[in-house]
Amino acid sequence: MFHVPVMDLEELVKHKLLPGHKLIAAVQAGLVQEFVKRDRALALIEGFEAADVSAHLDIIAANKRSGAVPAVEVERAVLVLCSTAEFLPSSPSQFFIESVLPIDARFKYTIDGLEISHRSYALTDGNQSAILLSLSSSRHQLLFEMTFSQKTNIFVSEVMKAAEGVSKRKAPTPEFTWLKPYLNNSASSGSSKPSAAGDHNQNSQQIFTIEGGSPCLVADLIGMSPEGADGGSQTVNSDGGAGGDNFIETGRDVVANRASPSHKGGLGGSLAAEDEADLLRVKDITLDNFALNQSTFYKPAVMPVLAGARESHVQHMMAQRQGSYTHALPLTVFVGTWNVNGVPPSIGLIEWLAVDPEPPDVYALGFQELDLATEAYIFQASNREPEWRAAVLSSLHPAARYVEVKLVRLVGMLLMVLVQEKHAKHVSRVQACTVPTGIMNMLGNKGGVSVSLELYNTSVCFVNCHLAAHVEEYERRNEDYDCICEKTVFVGPSGLQRYIRDHSHIYFFGDMNYRISASPEVNIRKLASAGQYETLLKLDQLNQQRRIGRVFKGYSEGPINFQPTFKYDKDTDSWDSSEKQRQPAWCDRILWAGEGIEQRIYRVHMALKISDHKPVSASFSSQVKVIDQAKYRRVHEEVMKQLDKMENEFLPSVSLSKSEVVLSPVHFLELQSETITISNTGQFPVQFSFIKKLNDEECCKPWLKIHPKSAFIPPGGDCVVRLDVKVDKSSAWVLASGAEQLYDILVLHLDGGKDYFITITGDYVRSCFGSSINALVHLNKPFCEVPVAQLIDLESSAPQKTLELPYAIPKELWYLVDHLHSHALSTEGLFTRPGLSKELCEIRAALDAGMPSRELGVSVHSIAQALLVFLEALPEPVVPCSLYPAALRAAAEGYLPAKQVVSQMPDYHRNVFTYLMAFLNELLVHRHENKLDASTLGSL
Amino acid sequence: MSAGPYNYSYIFKYIIIGDMGVGKSCLLHQFTEKKFMADCPHTIGVEFGTRIIEVAGQKIKLQIWDTAGQERFRAVTRSYYRGAAGALMVYDVTRRSTYNHLSSWLTDARNLTNPNTVIFLIGNKGDLDAQRDVTYEEAQQFAEENGLMFVEASAKTGENVEEAFLETAKKIYQNIQDGSLDLNAAESGVQHKPNGGQAGAGGRATLNNSSAGQTRENCSC
Ligand SMILES: Nc1nc2c(ncn2[C@@H]2O[C@H](COP(=O)(O)OP(=O)(O)O)[C@@H](O)[C@H]2O)c(=O)[nH]1
Ligand SMILES: [Mg+2]
Repeated sequence: MFHVPVMDLEELVKHKLLPGHKLIAAVQAGLVQEFVKRDRALALIEGFEAADVSAHLDIIAANKRSGAVPAVEVERAVLVLCSTAEFLPSSPSQFFIESVLPIDARFKYTIDGLEISHRSYALTDGNQSAILLSLSSSRHQLLFEMTFSQKTNIFVSEVMKAAEGVSKRKAPTPEFTWLKPYLNNSASSGSSKPSAAGDHNQNSQQIFTIEGGSPCLVADLIGMSPEGADGGSQTVNSDGGAGGDNFIETGRDVVANRASPSHKGGLGGSLAAEDEADLLRVKDITLDNFALNQSTFYKPAVMPVLAGARESHVQHMMAQRQGSYTHALPLTVFVGTWNVNGVPPSIGLIEWLAVDPEPPDVYALGFQELDLATEAYIFQASNREPEWRAAVLSSLHPAARYVEVKLVRLVGMLLMVLVQEKHAKHVSRVQACTVPTGIMNMLGNKGGVSVSLELYNTSVCFVNCHLAAHVEEYERRNEDYDCICEKTVFVGPSGLQRYIRDHSHIYFFGDMNYRISASPEVNIRKLASAGQYETLLKLDQLNQQRRIGRVFKGYSEGPINFQPTFKYDKDTDSWDSSEKQRQPAWCDRILWAGEGIEQRIYRVHMALKISDHKPVSASFSSQVKVIDQAKYRRVHEEVMKQLDKMENEFLPSVSLSKSEVVLSPVHFLELQSETITISNTGQFPVQFSFIKKLNDEECCKPWLKIHPKSAFIPPGGDCVVRLDVKVDKSSAWVLASGAEQLYDILVLHLDGGKDYFITITGDYVRSCFGSSINALVHLNKPFCEVPVAQLIDLESSAPQKTLELPYAIPKELWYLVDHLHSHALSTEGLFTRPGLSKELCEIRAALDAGMPSRELGVSVHSIAQALLVFLEALPEPVVPCSLYPAALRAAAEGYLPAKQVVSQMPDYHRNVFTYLMAFLNELLVHRHENKLDASTLGSL
Repeated sequence: MSAGPYNYSYIFKYIIIGDMGVGKSCLLHQFTEKKFMADCPHTIGVEFGTRIIEVAGQKIKLQIWDTAGQERFRAVTRSYYRGAAGALMVYDVTRRSTYNHLSSWLTDARNLTNPNTVIFLIGNKGDLDAQRDVTYEEAQQFAEENGLMFVEASAKTGENVEEAFLETAKKIYQNIQDGSLDLNAAESGVQHKPNGGQAGAGGRATLNNSSAGQTRENCSC
């Protein structure tokens, strides 16, 4: 995203516009190509033909006076803009126009929702906070991802309006010459492609049509900076990917991602009311500033995920690879049209339908004035229909067998579509539609009947029309045409609507009734009879209306080398001799639109004389697409595989400096620190955390502290995790007793990815700290000299009898107390001043080594603390847990119960208790010097 | 565009279990990438792979967890069984010990998953027939006795790899269809997307989506 406040974006775009052109809407969007999303801005602009400028101004002036609707219609186009700026494009010079999509008859769009959910284990229920907008012109086919905001909404609906306007417009065919400067602009930035602006005398849309015409990506056409190098490629620009954060991805490539939930808030996540939108706008500005200041900040929630709606992508990619799984099959399509003037089929139709040597693959036959009976108007019933149908069926080309695909009739207009039997199973989605354009657009004496079908894998539409009559009524005919285009819609079973223009191949034919507009001095009959068609065709109203772009935009018609098809005296080849003396005209015409259609024959059939019109036919060689199912499946599978692969590759991954930590011997209360470096080797930010294992309360053992437990690592970044191991009173005993090892497996979890196990192993060096009174009294040698097996045995519930006489109290306890007794009875602050942890370790080592602590040069406070720690670390306190409640009660009740509790203590515990009490008593005796009082000691 | 925004309607969670070195990671890789990764590093942790498959016209996303097989990780990998809809239990046909340990893996799988979890036994390295140490027949019998689905496969040649993963999915899908797998159960291992694609027969009126997130919450800090 450019992340410019919306107003600024509009301002910037406006700078790019030529005078007189108007910006309708602008929006930020991600251009999705393959798997990569690039930031772009889309602008819908409005302009008008340069030649019309003066006319336009005149009309505006005129309208000011009359208040009428302007007759010159504006045209709209979508500009795709790209920024060269790293961050906010602040000046228009950092902006260039990458591609231009004129909204003409070839313009198509589809809108698709986008599932926004960070790939997580939880499914967010269908947040649709982004849309996929696919825009295609004759030249481009582009897919954009846009956040769902009010701006987007406005933009999309304006595009829709514009596209709809195109089909309805009455003004001349849009030339879009006004767009040329933009087009050149975009092409000039390094384009190798010559701007195809040449021969627009033939067809104005040619400007935007490239040879070959297959849809391709802009980047393929225009090798522009800065993405020139990888434009349209499938590789992910990795340093671009680094900008995965919403706030700083400005102007750079990012892998298209499903925006994170938090993203939603960003650009006005909902259809906010106007004032709300303003608020959001303000928010955007502050966020942008924030982003600039914090360019290394990554938002955890933005995780790399494959571009949103996978299905859309698959479709998009399949469309792009179409060439690789389809081939073209040339079919002969025979289109015939005949105004039969209500007569019955008294003759065979072979001379119309079966004059070519080869049988056509498809017949599309249109009749007009099949039935002029009043019943046909009112009841839709017709006796003529079966007669003509039978006549057709009996006159088809004898060299092939045909099946009728569809027959549709509206009053006198009948359309029959037949295909050779062998093609029948390749015809699908057959639908018909009738549109009346007669009086009040209600009556079916005029109008159009159409059939839509899928021929192999090409959508084909046949339209048989009968437009308004009379020489001077060409505008009425134009409107009938408009009306047919607008109202002919085929609704599929899934509710999908198809208009005529949505088909790949369109055949539009019938009695169009366009006449020859000649001044009275031109003798049409004479010229027609003399075969001077060229002069007449210049005056042909259909040709004239098409030339000014009023009707049949994008359609072609083959050269007319035959005499006018209207109006003859019945059963003759002579021009109308009735009193109306109708002038000859090419009323009956056949036009087509679509790629891969070539007209082979366009002719009149003079042999059929029963009507006042002569039948016309055209034969086409039309390339229909055939999907090779095997290839299609292969390509489809490839696409799916590629997506799967990308998805797996996009999983976050890190490397660890080690997955096993072996500690050097761990002593009681001695801190040991280890570090593990987690490096983000993926292309995206990674969020890691150490997680709990099943049934565990914490993610690691109590003797281990992890810092940090979770963090965010940018791509290429490292995070050093410190592991602090310290066995203290709470874990000493479980380790000393052998109930647990100094062993742990940490689970390092990557958000949205795999887990890594980190094993921590070490040896705990047992100490008298953390050993039980019972065990200690049985040890008469230094603790460290006692074999581990014996220690474990002593700690077990039933220690074997040792030969030696046990001590009354643990000797280590005695050392400590004795030391205090001899050095510190009168030391001020004893037990309340903290010792030094270094000295504590020394004391521990000395005690374990059997060295009397008095030989240590440590402070008495450390000794005092060591005594406290020693007592605290006892697996079973001096006053055993079982007696503790009783002891509490006894303490309140007095001497006797207390004495009873003491007597219930295990022997050695009682010894220790008595010993300690004696010591404490002594301390109290010296209270004046050591400032201790009973309550302080009691609290110990 | 006719297709909805969702491209799959179910998510099935799988786990792959078995002794170290039997080829679990290679099987996963073969399934997701269609490639044999000969020098696959030891899994020290849990790998993760996904692929979208189609069963009965339904698109199903498989989320596959490949666990470390070392005995010392056993206690930790148990955390990952929960909520698995399918368990692929792998042994190596050339190493008898890996086969002998199956019963202990099976015990874990049975104890730690739900009763409807589909357990599929894979005898991997089928390409190494010359070094075979476990016959097809005995493994087949073991599978039968324990009600497991079974194939011999090769992560190297790809033989039967696709089948094993797909057959498991079909079986799970079938369980959903005949109602024996209750999607509402928190640990079904299946997530259903509400508006999913062509929302098929599985689309009950009251699908409990909130259960969807359960898979990881159990073991996160
Ligand atoms: N010949 C053969 N070797 C295999 C096959 N599958 C895996 N291996 C090898 O077995 C070893 C262990 O595979 P790995 O997937 O890491 O096993 P894991 O510990 O179960 O994940 C690797 O060296 C692989 O190359 C197979 O199907 N055939
Ligand atoms: Mg592995």
